[in-house]
Amino acid sequence: MAVGGAGRWFLLPGLVFLFAIDLIPLLYSGWISFYDWWLIRPRDVRFVGLANYARLGVDPEFARAVVVTTLFTAGAVLVEFLVGLALALLFAQPFRFLRPIRVLLLLPLFVVPVVGATMWRVIFHPEVGVLNYYLAAVGLGRPPWLSDPTLALVSITLVDAWRTIPFMFLVMYAGLEVLPAELFEAAAVDGASAWQSFRHITVPLLTYIMLLAVLIRGMDAFREFDIIFVLTGGGPGTATQTIQILNYRAFGLGHMGQANAIGMVTLVLVAIMCFVLMRAILRPRGPRA
Amino acid sequence: MTIMQNAGRLAAAVLLILTAMLTADARVWAQGKSLTLSMLAGYKEDVLRASLPEFERKTGIKVVVDAAPFGDLYKKQLLSLSTGGGRYDVLFMDEPWIPPLSEFLLPLNERMKTLDLADFIPTTVAAGAFQGTQYAVPVDPNVQILVYRKDLFDQKGLKPPATWDELLAAAKAFHDPAKEKYGIAVTASSDIQTALYMLLAMWSYGAELVDATGRGSLNSAAGRKGGEVFLELLKFAPPNVRSYNFADVNKAIQLGHAVMAIQWASGARPMEDKTRSSVAGKLGYALVPRAVRQTPMRGVWTIAIAKSSANQDAAWQFATWLSGKEFGQAAVKYPSATSAIHSPRVSVLRDAGTRAFLPYADTLLDSLQITKERPRLREYADIQENLRVTAGKLTAGELTLDAALKEIDAGTNRILGK
Amino acid sequence: MRPTRLRATLTGLALLPILAWTLFPIYWITTASFKTELALYAKPPRWLFEPILDNYARVLTNIPFFQYLKNSLVIAVGTTLGSLVLGTLAGYGFARFHFRASEAVRFLVLVTRMAPRMVLVVPYYLMMQRLGLLDTYTGLLVAYVSFALPFSIWLLIGFFVDVPLDVEEAAMIDGCSPLGVLVRIVIPIAAPGLVVAAIFAFLVSWNEFLFALILSGVEAKTLPVVIAGLNTDAGPLYGEMSAAAVMVMLPNIVMTLVLQRYLVKGLTLGAVKG
Repeated sequence: MAVGGAGRWFLLPGLVFLFAIDLIPLLYSGWISFYDWWLIRPRDVRFVGLANYARLGVDPEFARAVVVTTLFTAGAVLVEFLVGLALALLFAQPFRFLRPIRVLLLLPLFVVPVVGATMWRVIFHPEVGVLNYYLAAVGLGRPPWLSDPTLALVSITLVDAWRTIPFMFLVMYAGLEVLPAELFEAAAVDGASAWQSFRHITVPLLTYIMLLAVLIRGMDAFREFDIIFVLTGGGPGTATQTIQILNYRAFGLGHMGQANAIGMVTLVLVAIMCFVLMRAILRPRGPRA
Repeated sequence: MTIMQNAGRLAAAVLLILTAMLTADARVWAQGKSLTLSMLAGYKEDVLRASLPEFERKTGIKVVVDAAPFGDLYKKQLLSLSTGGGRYDVLFMDEPWIPPLSEFLLPLNERMKTLDLADFIPTTVAAGAFQGTQYAVPVDPNVQILVYRKDLFDQKGLKPPATWDELLAAAKAFHDPAKEKYGIAVTASSDIQTALYMLLAMWSYGAELVDATGRGSLNSAAGRKGGEVFLELLKFAPPNVRSYNFADVNKAIQLGHAVMAIQWASGARPMEDKTRSSVAGKLGYALVPRAVRQTPMRGVWTIAIAKSSANQDAAWQFATWLSGKEFGQAAVKYPSATSAIHSPRVSVLRDAGTRAFLPYADTLLDSLQITKERPRLREYADIQENLRVTAGKLTAGELTLDAALKEIDAGTNRILGK
Repeated sequence: MRPTRLRATLTGLALLPILAWTLFPIYWITTASFKTELALYAKPPRWLFEPILDNYARVLTNIPFFQYLKNSLVIAVGTTLGSLVLGTLAGYGFARFHFRASEAVRFLVLVTRMAPRMVLVVPYYLMMQRLGLLDTYTGLLVAYVSFALPFSIWLLIGFFVDVPLDVEEAAMIDGCSPLGVLVRIVIPIAAPGLVVAAIFAFLVSWNEFLFALILSGVEAKTLPVVIAGLNTDAGPLYGEMSAAAVMVMLPNIVMTLVLQRYLVKGLTLGAVKG
């Protein structure tokens, strides 16, 4: 290792900051989850052990929310990863007309999520929305984007993808840009085709970035709230009611113990997802020579 | 440009930012009296801000406005009051929040005697009370009313419906999907309005959400009838009513799709705004339909004072002013195209000038005389949340009406510990 | 693999539907900001119309918009700088300095991003209240850096690890300190990674709503809270919301235009040859 003992000085500032500002509050929040703390009765806080968790375990609404959240996360991450990767590969080519288009592609990231979702609601409006107007014009009818249970799930996935594909594109594009051109040139000299280059040079070197993108996106999609809340509010019925919406409800009513219990369960579920994905990332890899 | 030069520029930028932060971070140290108000963001905030300079000039009290969006205001007030931070002196709160927040609020019974209560609509004052103690002064009353296309009704020589049966008949008569005309607009999504519409119908037939012994009592013949009527009404609503929320009801009227709507009075003003509505000037207003009784739902925005406030006298002055005649008149006339603050005072609402700005002023006043309030319980927010979710499941077809009624009552009983 | 005109055309064609889908809502929001609400729902949808400026006027006059803009800017820039500095240091440390608990600590860094942000609201609120940091820039900065840092660290680790070791070792032999190696050699090569981390941190701060709502209110109020406030109890004010959103987008666009020069190859080649 090039750095030796000096390394710990690099690590300390960031780690100390994170552990003080992030981990301790997280532990506190976990601790709250063992209490019955209703904000409107601040002096009536009682220790209830695992009661909050037990209630979640037998609640069919919570189980359904886990299913909905998992479906949404899987669908969203898959779409976003594939399209983002495709875009990154397209843009890795040295065409000059691609340069200005890069910024255009990033625009959805700059729209405040609430506004984006509100505008999509307008676009999705079954009677006066733009989308259905043109769909009806070509004979595809007026799909009830937000009032049909299945379509509602599709809609929130579409809007989430719209918002996050730029991010996936950005991360993987940056990863591609750092790959030294000489490797590809050498391969071309040796007679490798584009596909072979992709498979044997790009994929292995980009694996870390790709898995990181999927991991971060997966964690975020699982915890996604704003877009779903604005678009469907969890409806119709409970068709798009995710864990986060349940969390928001408990929190909004002031039931801190319950809300934190839901949060901790989310944490465990996401941690499991991370652990599975991370086994792939943390395969021992040293720096390339 | 070398790395070192870049690093140097970076360091300079950091230093600049830090300095800007530290100087910009200076807080306003109150000179003289200062009140912090927790306010609802949006057009109500605009109306308030327009009149604030007048108040500050007259009384020398500076009011700092902390505005939060509608969906989050309760949360913010609850968090602040419960953790005892003393952040707010006065709070603009919706009446259902008063029971749960009452233990953090200053009782106002004595001070109320200094107001000219005769000018207030009695039910609006009642909205600020809980278990005999007055905790808040009314500022902006709201109530459910019936909106209808007067031009279309006149064409057919019909009068607006007075009962739920007449409402159904009228909705059916006007319902013409081929021409994109729908009988009535309501909401049938998992939005809170759906539950409130359903409750209105059930109330009209005599049912109660919580009975006198504190048990859930919606699962009754009256409740079932009300539920059936509401579900029947959906047949004459726009096809995608199951994704509708408050704004969509307005849109349906404003774009000329719906012939009638049951809506809160606060939604009526945009319907009369030519830049937002194609039917401005063509609307008529009436009381909500009745069955066994007539029960327009009441929702009054009030102003309360935090117990922990260090400026209680100044706070009371502010509350007096906010519920006063002068502010009421200015608020009604404020050129906001989206909605008005309705004064709780009879004199303001009966004023001829008001009618020019609020064409529905008479209906509003008449409705406010006979309103029904939602149960005044600390746990009401939880009960309403349960009602909301169950109503949403009902309209989405996840539950039958009987199952829904049972679930609502079961939830109510569980929340109230019965 | 010489780029041909055919490939350029195919690439362009492949991009068109994606661009249309990506840009249409942005276009719709922008035009909505210049339309009356009635015009927004016109059937057939109007692509050309007479613009009005009322929405912008209302947003700019009804609220102290520029103060909130300043708040958002200061906090976002601060967050970016804070995450970049702490993230670069920690990222390099993880990339080059391996100790036995390395993997476990790395996982721990990510743990904070596994819980829904909502659960941190009460602890942060109480913490800021005790420290007197409610409604201050510092309070929000601290919160936002902690949000952006984990991903920044993980991302930068990936980019730093890709930097060829021999270049670093050569520099150290020439007498460069580890910090100097980081600043002079590694950062230029891994620049695209830093750009992504910067954009990410900026956006985390710029778009964040929940904590801005709870932890601020008057002095440090940011734009997302203002925009959410346009979602009134009588429904969203579409025109005003769109106008506000367009104005909020502009600084992001400027920032990206400035940073995107560093998103390209070229720096890599320079370092290796040098």
